[in-house]
Amino acid sequence: MKLYVGGYAQGKLKFVLQRIMQENGKQQESCMVWDGAIPDGELVKEAATQVDTMSQSKTIIFNNFHQWIKNCIQQGGCPEKEIMGLLERYPDCIIISDEIGNGIVPMDAFEREYRERTGRILVELAKQAEEVERVICGIGQRIK
Amino acid sequence: MMILIMGGSGSGKSAYAEEYLVRLARGSRKYYLATMQVFDKEGQTKIERHRRLRAGKEFVTIEQPTDILEALEKMEEQSALLECMSNLVANEMFSEKEPKRAEEVSEKIVQEINLLRNGLKHLVIVTNNVFEDGNVYDETTMEYIQALGSINEKMAVMADTVIEVVVGIPLTIKEGK
Repeated sequence: MKLYVGGYAQGKLKFVLQRIMQENGKQQESCMVWDGAIPDGELVKEAATQVDTMSQSKTIIFNNFHQWIKNCIQQGGCPEKEIMGLLERYPDCIIISDEIGNGIVPMDAFEREYRERTGRILVELAKQAEEVERVICGIGQRIK
Repeated sequence: MMILIMGGSGSGKSAYAEEYLVRLARGSRKYYLATMQVFDKEGQTKIERHRRLRAGKEFVTIEQPTDILEALEKMEEQSALLECMSNLVANEMFSEKEPKRAEEVSEKIVQEINLLRNGLKHLVIVTNNVFEDGNVYDETTMEYIQALGSINEKMAVMADTVIEVVVGIPLTIKEGK
């Protein structure tokens, strides 16, 4: 798994797509971009059995990962657990998340919880990632 | 020696700062200067989490929500971790009925930190990155952001090393000699 973090509108997805094309000579068609949500049914499939060949051959890019965390918490889910299940199924995926913790602590309790939990999930993902990159102004800065 | 460690919320800055001080102190006495005041259950939970993080690292905790220099009298000339500057600034600014001006708060804290640094072998300070959400807040909050920003700037000049923690990964902003 590779992790990309950075502020809003920093060109993270574009950077990732360009890199994939340059590095592996792969076409954009070989990627599957999830935008802030996990497609229906992905989590209920057994990790060990019947990984369908189509999604297996494609690189999963989980864009707007922070939005998924937010929705997940709002719906009473446990993003910490769910993302680990997903990593078992897609160990080679790419996760892109906004950096949302660099601001004034919000008045709203949910907003505080969301920021805090997102931060901690990203710390855990960074520990497990093969690569971590921060994207600023469309430029990647390799930090792990 | 003074080390400044900065990060956003949930960035892993505290855990990193604690490890850093443990490394510096090498078994000598370590103090934890706690600036956070507890008003509710959420604050209590936060403090308990930090206590768990520190468990086994043998810190002597000193509660010092304001007037940070007073902590110096309570310590031997050893190593201390101040956590965190964002709370200290808020406590100083809003300790009386009327909020104090940014310059006043900044001047007081910077002066005290300077003396604290001179009185200790190692001082590690945790501070918060509250500057990148692009929001415009009410006047008082903007004043607070100004104060913390100016204090961070001045502390960075005083510090031997400045580190930003991003998703738990330390990035060097200012390299120690």
